[in-house]
Amino acid sequence: MSVKYTPVQWNKNKWGYDAVLIALVVLYITVFIEVGTPAADLARPLDNAILRMRAFGTCALWMLTFILCIGPLARLDKRFLPVLYNRRHFGVLTAVVAFTHAMYVFNWYFSFTAQTTLAAMLASTNGFGQILGFPIEILGLVSLILLGILAATSHDFWLTFLSAPVWKSLHLLIYPAYALVVAHVSLGYFQDSANPVFGVLFVGSALGVAVLHLLALLKERKVNDAATEWVEACKPGDIQDKRAAIVTLSKDERVAIFRTGSSFSAVSNACAHQGGPLGEGKIVYGCVTCPWHGFSYKARNGRSPAPFTEMIPTYNMKLEDGTLYIDRKANQPGTDVEPIIYEVENDG
Amino acid sequence: MTIMMAGMFYLYVGGAVAVVFLVFGLGRIDENARGAWIFRPLLIPGVLLVWPLVIWRWVVLMRGEEKLDRHRMPRIRQERAQLVFVIVIPLILLVSFALRQDPASLSAPVLLEAPE
Amino acid sequence: MAKPQEPFFVGWGKVPKALRVFLASCAALLVVAFGALAYATSATQTDTGSGAIMGRTEVIGILQEKPYPVLHVIQSRHFEPGDSILLSGNGKSGAIDQAAGLDGKVVQANGFRLDRGDLHGMQLRNGQRGLKLAADQNQTLDIPVKSLGRWRLQGEVCDGKCLVGAMRPGNGLAHRACANLCLLGDVAPVFVSAGQVDGSAFFLMSNPEGEPVTQEVLKYTAVLVEVEGEVERRGGVLVFKVDPETFRVAP
Repeated sequence: MSVKYTPVQWNKNKWGYDAVLIALVVLYITVFIEVGTPAADLARPLDNAILRMRAFGTCALWMLTFILCIGPLARLDKRFLPVLYNRRHFGVLTAVVAFTHAMYVFNWYFSFTAQTTLAAMLASTNGFGQILGFPIEILGLVSLILLGILAATSHDFWLTFLSAPVWKSLHLLIYPAYALVVAHVSLGYFQDSANPVFGVLFVGSALGVAVLHLLALLKERKVNDAATEWVEACKPGDIQDKRAAIVTLSKDERVAIFRTGSSFSAVSNACAHQGGPLGEGKIVYGCVTCPWHGFSYKARNGRSPAPFTEMIPTYNMKLEDGTLYIDRKANQPGTDVEPIIYEVENDG
Repeated sequence: MTIMMAGMFYLYVGGAVAVVFLVFGLGRIDENARGAWIFRPLLIPGVLLVWPLVIWRWVVLMRGEEKLDRHRMPRIRQERAQLVFVIVIPLILLVSFALRQDPASLSAPVLLEAPE
Repeated sequence: MAKPQEPFFVGWGKVPKALRVFLASCAALLVVAFGALAYATSATQTDTGSGAIMGRTEVIGILQEKPYPVLHVIQSRHFEPGDSILLSGNGKSGAIDQAAGLDGKVVQANGFRLDRGDLHGMQLRNGQRGLKLAADQNQTLDIPVKSLGRWRLQGEVCDGKCLVGAMRPGNGLAHRACANLCLLGDVAPVFVSAGQVDGSAFFLMSNPEGEPVTQEVLKYTAVLVEVEGEVERRGGVLVFKVDPETFRVAP
């Protein structure tokens, strides 16, 4: 929302979410070090540092894998939306776990020389021309820097400051970051592990992430980019009460037509916060409410109720022959538009 | 060495930008930040890392140039990124799987020339 | 047309009842998944072999400087007479500087014993405390030198410190940069062959002239490769005088 910024805006749901996240990490590291490794068939124990870099490294890998599943899952099944709600904390924690992994690497593999660890890392780097033996540390480091950028710009301030589209574009860096992690593991630990279990889990999960994204892509609606000024939307009766229909004007522009009883209003489908799909939201306490983080707006003017100050564009509509049409030209954010009134018959 | 120098330089400039921006710039462009100080240190790492972006946005907001673009999400960009992602991930896995070496398949030493 | 409305979650509000069960199951599933992943990933880790740091030791022996410093044991509490030990310094450094000028001399070495089956190593203490001329230069040892012919070997280039036991694991691609850092620090490169020649699968590497070969092998560290060269026995160690042009990534 807005009002004054605080370091972290926690609420009861986020506390619960974060508690689960922290439990996951603690459980993973504990099981890895205290239960799984003693059960492994090892002639002599591994170096403590290497054991920990493996524990934290694989933990960050699985966390990132799950994070990347949340978006497409929520697109495919709305029940996953609450998992998306606090995804940022998941991301920040993953960056912290990945950083811990990197610290063990630096302080072990790149220590014990006369140089600083970073200089030692760069000095030992060769093999850019080959695939096997490619310097996987560089892949990991670049990925870590990307995760660092994402974590460091996750506060709501950055959304307002950069604007949702720029912020979202910046946060698309999660894709190269994950691809780099996959390459980092593919050319490193995956090559070394003689037992196929890790390979199967790793390849299977990465392919799973790719398939989920493919399915979500295929689900995207078709575009209505005919050059007409008035775009045919839908029949009023097609919209459930307190819900919306989404109309696509162009690839980047969508409109949500909300129904409250017999009144219909059109607003931008992109929430001013993170660009969440408002049209998949609902009218709660008389306000359009975003399914992602619960930002709300009045449907007729696109303004958040006081004390909040967010605004989204509204759209003019007309009703012809029982069909709603949308004016392609958006109004300035916060412009009041008289709702279209239409009594829907036979509405259950 | 050059890489490290460049990296240090980038972060130093970021540090300078962070100080000026967080102390003087922030309150002018975001009314929600006025009087809110506790959250500002949290922004330092972000400014250090993406300070060129910070300066660009700072200028845009100071000039009040922002338009309706703010409400158009970069869906095309996201779809393209996802499409590339969907192709690249299996490709990486395929290549690394194809090149995977098995120590068990190595052959035993071969004597090429017997000692004299 | 009125289908029952789906439950709708608002972050700052209460979680709808219908979703609570679903989310709780998600959380439970995630917890089970993370526990299972942790166990599956950790319990299937590859064995790193018997190499390890075995504690302090002291050795009297004859030093061989080239290609990399090796100590042929005359007497020691932990090594057999005739054993040959790869020497290294503290951290990721070799013993070339410490061994300079001591070739063929009887020396006294002090440091940590590294051991991996028939491959012996020692991490010397710094400076004179680690390696110095022995007081008694009259002790002798028969170091047999024998050419074993020209061989084509398949296997892995490792660094002769981590592999011997300074790190567990001390080989493989994940450890490659660390191995290269050791090699750049003048630690001896060791070839681990898929099969034995004259009873050993470990080879101290050199160039065809018997000189250090560090720069030429860096590119191939940790990758399974094939390479040709002369093999020579010197006391307890096999020296593999590789032709760098014959390096090839193993299929």
